[in-house]
Amino acid sequence: MSSSRLTIFRRRLTKFVGQFLESKLGIFGVLILIIFLFTSIFANYLSDYPTKATQGNLKDRFSPPNNKYLLGTDDVGRDILTLLMYGGRISLLIGFLAAFTSGGIGTIIGLTAGYFGGWKEDVLMRITDIVLVIPRLPLMLVLSAILGTSFWNIIFVISVTTWTGTARIVRAQVLSLKERAFIESSKAIGASDLRIIGVHLLPNVFPLILAQMVLGIGGAILQESSLSFLGLGDPLSISWGMILHWAFSAGALSSNYWWFIIPPGICITLVALGFTFVGYALDQIVNPRIRSR
Amino acid sequence: MSASNYFNKRIILVITTIFAVIVINFFLFRIMPSNPVDILISPLQGQEKMDPKIKEALMHELGLDRPLYIQFIIYLKNVFTLNLGTSFLSHRPVATIIKERLVNTLVLMISGNILSILLAVSLGVIAAWKRGSKTDVGSLISALTMTSMPMFWVGGIILLIFSVRLDLFPMYGTTKIGYSHPNLISFLSDYLHHLTLPMITMALVSFGGLFLIMRNALLDVFSEDYIFTAQAIGLSERTILFKNALQNALLPLITVIAIRIGFMMSGALLTETVFSWPGLGYTIYQAVEFRDYPVLQGAFLIITILVILSNFLAEIIYGLADPRVRTQSNESA
Amino acid sequence: MTLLNIENLTTHYETRGGSVKAVDDVSLTLEKGDALGLAGESGCGKTTTMLSLMRLLPSNGKIIGGKIEFDGIDLISIEEEELRQSIRWKRMSMVFQGAMNALNPVVNVRDQITQAIRNHEDVKKEAAWERVGELFQLVGIDPKRAVDYPHEFSGGMKQRAIIAMALACNPDIIIADEPVTALDVIVQAQILELTRELRERLSLSMILITHDLSVIADTCTKVAIMYAGKIVEQGDIIEIFKNPEHPYSQGLLTNYPSIKTKRMTFTPISGRPPDLINPPPGCRFHPRCSYATEICSQEVPVTIDLGGGHYIACHLKTN
Repeated sequence: MSSSRLTIFRRRLTKFVGQFLESKLGIFGVLILIIFLFTSIFANYLSDYPTKATQGNLKDRFSPPNNKYLLGTDDVGRDILTLLMYGGRISLLIGFLAAFTSGGIGTIIGLTAGYFGGWKEDVLMRITDIVLVIPRLPLMLVLSAILGTSFWNIIFVISVTTWTGTARIVRAQVLSLKERAFIESSKAIGASDLRIIGVHLLPNVFPLILAQMVLGIGGAILQESSLSFLGLGDPLSISWGMILHWAFSAGALSSNYWWFIIPPGICITLVALGFTFVGYALDQIVNPRIRSR
Repeated sequence: MSASNYFNKRIILVITTIFAVIVINFFLFRIMPSNPVDILISPLQGQEKMDPKIKEALMHELGLDRPLYIQFIIYLKNVFTLNLGTSFLSHRPVATIIKERLVNTLVLMISGNILSILLAVSLGVIAAWKRGSKTDVGSLISALTMTSMPMFWVGGIILLIFSVRLDLFPMYGTTKIGYSHPNLISFLSDYLHHLTLPMITMALVSFGGLFLIMRNALLDVFSEDYIFTAQAIGLSERTILFKNALQNALLPLITVIAIRIGFMMSGALLTETVFSWPGLGYTIYQAVEFRDYPVLQGAFLIITILVILSNFLAEIIYGLADPRVRTQSNESA
Repeated sequence: MTLLNIENLTTHYETRGGSVKAVDDVSLTLEKGDALGLAGESGCGKTTTMLSLMRLLPSNGKIIGGKIEFDGIDLISIEEEELRQSIRWKRMSMVFQGAMNALNPVVNVRDQITQAIRNHEDVKKEAAWERVGELFQLVGIDPKRAVDYPHEFSGGMKQRAIIAMALACNPDIIIADEPVTALDVIVQAQILELTRELRERLSLSMILITHDLSVIADTCTKVAIMYAGKIVEQGDIIEIFKNPEHPYSQGLLTNYPSIKTKRMTFTPISGRPPDLINPPPGCRFHPRCSYATEICSQEVPVTIDLGGGHYIACHLKTN
């Protein structure tokens, strides 16, 4: 990259960060996310308690919060606070990967439909409409039942059912960009489609996609928690949804073991909220059509 | 576009979409990595291998030994005669099971939806009217937080508080198990008693998004010119709000409700599971758990068609409500 | 008889950047039967003046000082409730730019006018509907169209409907804000003709706000020219058009192509309208005025009477 391109990029980045810092919501969201990221990554430094089901202290099972176990224990005697910290790893990872893949699929479809138009656009948009109209969770259940449950299957199932929002937004943006002169002149010069898409369209569409993806991570985390809760999560991994699955299966509800049920949900809510705030702040900056309220 | 055009276009779309879903439903269940017969047999026999003759016989009975296109034709014929197969688990016709459970899902979704709309509209009006006030900001934050909560968790908390701790409502089912009601009123009140918590859960789970839309729609309307006209005419604030602004704001809400019906169905699935409410959502959950493929396929198809039809219904309501769609546009000077 | 007397009206808008002095020390009178044209470029304060009249300013607008007297009633201090019930629409109504979304799209036109009537008069719905039919006939629309929705009307029809609505409660004054700007020339002429007719038949008084001087020339009896929140010149229409004395008025009025002459070039007024948060000291026009002297940048010019109802605020004439 030439030095002038670098300076332009750096200037844009500074401007963007400046705008972002003006948004109170955005800052608050980032703070929440940093806290959770920190506890997830450094979970093994922050806690000594074991996480394997076989290593639980069965004597201490189902104990409410006390000095030894700050948030109590689960059905096999594991410390819940520790489980939450490790659980963050899988929940965040799946959330991120699923949102990223979903955004990728949506971008490809949106770009193709918007740029090429014609029958390709019609077919892709019809597919989008049909996927949109099928209720998401039931579809995810069916796919999970058919494909089996594993880490990558969950990511696949979530991404394949959530790309439609991004596809529509990208297509709309491409349609409006297509009208602009620089696309026509590029074509006149003889630039290939791939070049036009990659060099002219993609950079313009990218901020929008980024905002969508960030918003999508929160959604993906919620989807994963629902799937895990229903017993379709990866049984070998710990995620917040899985903890809730164990809680309900072990009868924590009817036995009033609230410490087993409430904290995981709070974690999911806070993280989803964090991503929503950040995504919203991003959207305010990049979306040309938003009016301030 | 004239009114009849609007409806015709939509009817054609609905029919083609339903047909597409029927086709997809067929192929979806054919991409399974394992043979459904193996899954059917294994819980019964408890052995790894099975007598190949029995396996062959079962495959023939299920029609799995015919070429794919014949299977497809048989499938289409079955769907259009409402023969959705037989449950692997209970050996009852899938169509019967679905018929039994459908009502419960409809009741849950409709009541939950109505409650949700009432909450969203009233709070949305108050928030937009007192824009910037503590009430407004408070509702905004609450709504945003609610949309970030896992739906089943909300149900769990409600169960925990109102059923387990306060013992005000029952924990599961539609009616008291093993109790036969002497009359209709007794049955209905027991049913409603059981319906309360799931219904509240459904409403809470979806009202957040609707509230945000309602508030935004109303704020948009407030900045329109015709509201200024109403003020210049000297109409009271209340008249302006209820007789001029609200109707305009409710229109985009109808569209949003239509779009969110699929989302509410997902919510229903989770709520039904948490409360063991015997509806189609719970049916799907159990079918997945026990790998009861015929029931899964049948229930999934019916749920999807239900969503498509509700969507269509909402679009019709919109077409009737918005005069710009309802009347033929007349351009005469 | 003086119907409306505005004295030294000052209205400001509070914004994040500061206080916008949108209307400063404006004085106007409207006699019964007059049609007063309020002319000036966008942002000169003419709309703000009108909004102040009916107290329809946005939340950040405030009347800082001055007096507005309408038929003996003090419009600034009158209670909001009283203003709504007895003044708005009943005695002073408005005609908006038709291109605006001035009519509610989901209520039919008859019902909207009925709502206006029944807000001020205790009449039955059916009586109001009859009145709507008469009003439509008055403005030249087929009364059967009354039950249609605004989107079913053409541009010219919509404007007529808006005029009909403005007449619904038999007001004394109609304030028209850019009533024909959004229409094509032929329809413009029709609507202006209609306005003249109605004024004669119903002895209406009118304030017409526009940037288009030809419209004022066509319909008004008096004209007041505003610049940067101040009235620079006002008087009888023929007098002002024939003998504009203020440099700004002269600039405006000489830039009109005439069918009779062959002039091909125009001399635009140089510069741009000033920032009203920090308006120029002294005469607000002085930075753009080719005749400006030292005093113009120091003292605000006082309005003087040149005789025959011709008023001007300019230091050049004070001597």
